[in-house]
Amino acid sequence: MKKKSNLFIIIKSLFLGSKHLDEVDVFKEDELQSPFRTIVKNFLENKIAMTGLVVFSFILFCSLILPFFYPLDTSFQDSTQQNVAPGLNILSVPSSLSKDVEQISVGSTYSFGIDNEGELYSWGQLSNSKLLDIPEDMGDLVQISTGLDHVLALSEDGIVYTWGNNRLGLGDIPSEVEELTNIAKVYAGQQLSFVITDDGYLYSWGNTNIINVRIPEEIQGKVVDVQTNTAAAVALTDEGTIHVLLNQDTPLNKIPEEIQGHIVDFALTSQNCIAVTDDGMVYVWGGLYPSVETIPDAVQGIAKDVAAGRNHVTVVTTEGTVYSWGRNVYGEANAPSITNAVSVSAGYYQNYVVLEDNSLVTWGLSGYIMGTDAYGRDVLNRLIAGGQMTILIGAIAVLIQSIIGILVGGFAGYYGGRIDNFLMRMAEVVGSIPFIPLAMILSAVIGSSISEDARIIMIMVILGVLSWPGLARLIRGQVLAEKQKEFVTAAKAMGLKERVIIFKHILPNVITVIIVSVTLSFASSMLTETSLSFLGFGVLEPRATWGNMLTGSQSSTVIQVFWWRWVFPALALGLSTISINLIGDGLRNAIDPKSNER
Amino acid sequence: MVKYILKRLGYLIFVLFLVSIVLFGIFKLVPGDPVAMMLEGQRLSMKPEAYELLYEQTRESFGLDQPLPVQYFKWLINTVQGDLGYSIQYKKPVIDVLQTPLMNTIQLNILTLILTFAITIPLGIATAVKKYSAFDNSVQVLSVVGYSIPSFIIGLVFIFLFSVLIPIFPISGSVTPGSDYTGMQAILDKLWYMALPVIVMTVGSLGGITRYVRGAMIEALQMDYIRTARAKGLKEKTVIYVHAFRNSLVPLVTIMTGWLVSLFGGSVVIESIFNWNGMGELLVTSLRQQDFAVAMAIQIFFVLLVLVGNLVMDLGYCLVDPRVKLD
Repeated sequence: MKKKSNLFIIIKSLFLGSKHLDEVDVFKEDELQSPFRTIVKNFLENKIAMTGLVVFSFILFCSLILPFFYPLDTSFQDSTQQNVAPGLNILSVPSSLSKDVEQISVGSTYSFGIDNEGELYSWGQLSNSKLLDIPEDMGDLVQISTGLDHVLALSEDGIVYTWGNNRLGLGDIPSEVEELTNIAKVYAGQQLSFVITDDGYLYSWGNTNIINVRIPEEIQGKVVDVQTNTAAAVALTDEGTIHVLLNQDTPLNKIPEEIQGHIVDFALTSQNCIAVTDDGMVYVWGGLYPSVETIPDAVQGIAKDVAAGRNHVTVVTTEGTVYSWGRNVYGEANAPSITNAVSVSAGYYQNYVVLEDNSLVTWGLSGYIMGTDAYGRDVLNRLIAGGQMTILIGAIAVLIQSIIGILVGGFAGYYGGRIDNFLMRMAEVVGSIPFIPLAMILSAVIGSSISEDARIIMIMVILGVLSWPGLARLIRGQVLAEKQKEFVTAAKAMGLKERVIIFKHILPNVITVIIVSVTLSFASSMLTETSLSFLGFGVLEPRATWGNMLTGSQSSTVIQVFWWRWVFPALALGLSTISINLIGDGLRNAIDPKSNER
Repeated sequence: MVKYILKRLGYLIFVLFLVSIVLFGIFKLVPGDPVAMMLEGQRLSMKPEAYELLYEQTRESFGLDQPLPVQYFKWLINTVQGDLGYSIQYKKPVIDVLQTPLMNTIQLNILTLILTFAITIPLGIATAVKKYSAFDNSVQVLSVVGYSIPSFIIGLVFIFLFSVLIPIFPISGSVTPGSDYTGMQAILDKLWYMALPVIVMTVGSLGGITRYVRGAMIEALQMDYIRTARAKGLKEKTVIYVHAFRNSLVPLVTIMTGWLVSLFGGSVVIESIFNWNGMGELLVTSLRQQDFAVAMAIQIFFVLLVLVGNLVMDLGYCLVDPRVKLD
């Protein structure tokens, strides 16, 4: 009973601080000065160590709890979102535009819009600095269209302007297009530009290496709309039919026969085509993207306007309501409940709905707090998942290492003689092998023939099995010292089993040393894991660890231009190991205040 | 003394023997058929029967048809004689592949060793003498930061600072491409490329070693003979540098071995970052190319280096501390 209340007070003091102990009367206070409590008190008074504890608790919380809320989709990549700088301004529409919208066109991580006076606005992360080279004296604009990294604009006088990425013929408007006087629509896709005249003729130019556009003769003179994604271009005719503008047969060509001739609007996601027919029904075909293919029943029969991002669809109905569905990692399918929507512009991960009073409602991806990497993946998401992996590997490696170290050190120290000699020689052999090269060889030799999960377990085991000698030596020394003390002689005299003496009498006396050593080797296990993963011999892509997030960062482009790709993982790793080491140092000082002298 | 060295050498050979069994075991775990990999180029250009014959001949010439213990001893004898196998990647004997990287790695690490000691010993002594001063406390905090941060992050930061922001040093490589400098110019060129890796490795080692020097020095300063020396009226400088420092060297020698292991191990990462043509970089590329003969030879080199390092440290013990009896 007494023991319990002591423990309670200690735990209470852990959370409420030592001030709380004032209530305890003098006799109890005296009673409470157990070695354990002294350690806790010493540790709590050490400001540096407590800072370390707070920082590490925060990192631990982020790495262990957050992955459940933001799981890492290891198969996800998006070439349109590569190397986006940190920022949260993708949806920040200029206030003067949001009151009086004429048209908005959505680019990969930026958008352009024009208001009713023909004034041009831009916002978001301009992925290419050339996007800022907006031609002067374009006059009032009537239409704007943004692609992956270039923009097309149509002026009041019917002239087409282009800026942004101008390579591979994208910047050169063909002379036949320049001569046109009846342009009805401009469309910018992934490094492709299209122009549609009011008599239904379609012209295209740009990079044909990605999408080799082939416009069938029979649709010329009938085209009213064109859309592209990263792999295909699709056109809509005034007869309500859809045509895929590609030479080869793709899943997009499987257009449902019954809707041909009834289509009024359509949109493309990364894999699917979504069409709205004249009776307000929505149809999806194309790739295998289940969340895009499950159309909400509520839109059927009343759909009016459709727009699509990379993996989501947004539909405006005749009743003025809005529905979104599809992949919803960045909130791009969280449509608000409104009843006065008129039209929608969506693209990539953004949605802009124009209301009856010409004002705007936006939702979707507002930006990446820590930017994206070379494959368009969210760095923050990978940082959280990577932390989980790094900490898990470090913890299990330390567990293995401690078990071996305690057993070997305990037996060697207690029995001495030949057993000691043998075990310590073993420790010396294992300790004399340079660790990182051997771990690399083992990982390369064994790792190539096993699954990724087995590989991760193997790395934990390698780390644990190769790094126990230091701990074993430390424990052996402590056990040797404790063994000489009277209480061990007493225990022996009582006829206790040796196993009991080792683990129940001697071990509790060396446990403090073990705790300190384990804390410090936790940090070094994490460092070794990150070094291995950094070199490509630990956890491999697409799984994330802080180590493999840094792979390749030494190139001058990444280090300078895409700084967010290495600064954040490096910071997370550095902060964790520093705080763990501070905790370990603080514990050591708390347990043995004299050690500070050394 | 001679007896002690002989005993240590005997022990060294015993450890090497144990390690060699482990290494041979790993070598045998390597997936794929080394002979088939070696003859990959000839397979298509030859008739199947002729290839079959060549395959069997090669297999026999490498002794791969014999039982494992025999293979092991053959491998051991070959290794001892310096025949470390044949590199698939470079198409020449491993021993020839290793020469330049070996020199480069040793130069890199020795320079780091010298630079680290040149900084840490004065720093450690200064902090020990003025312990708990503001200077000591700030060095203490910095040293925790120093030994907590992995060397490759220090490397990234230094590349950013001294190759990108202020381009003083080259980002990577070990020699100016296309140059054929001779004499002094070649040495200077090499030093220029070596500077950043050496600085990074030194900075990575500073924290830990400074703490050790400080600890050893504080302990030595508390000894009775220091009080005696001061009582005799010796100058404080003499007390610190002659009486205390000499005695603090003993524990320092002990940690040297461990540090040497981690230094050479850590240089694998640094060499890989800086594309430094050393053993570590070679290890990474040969493992990526599945050139396991080279990887094994490098591992043997590392083990040998550490064991010889151990021996030298043991001998260093009796140099710095005549009280240590070698038996």
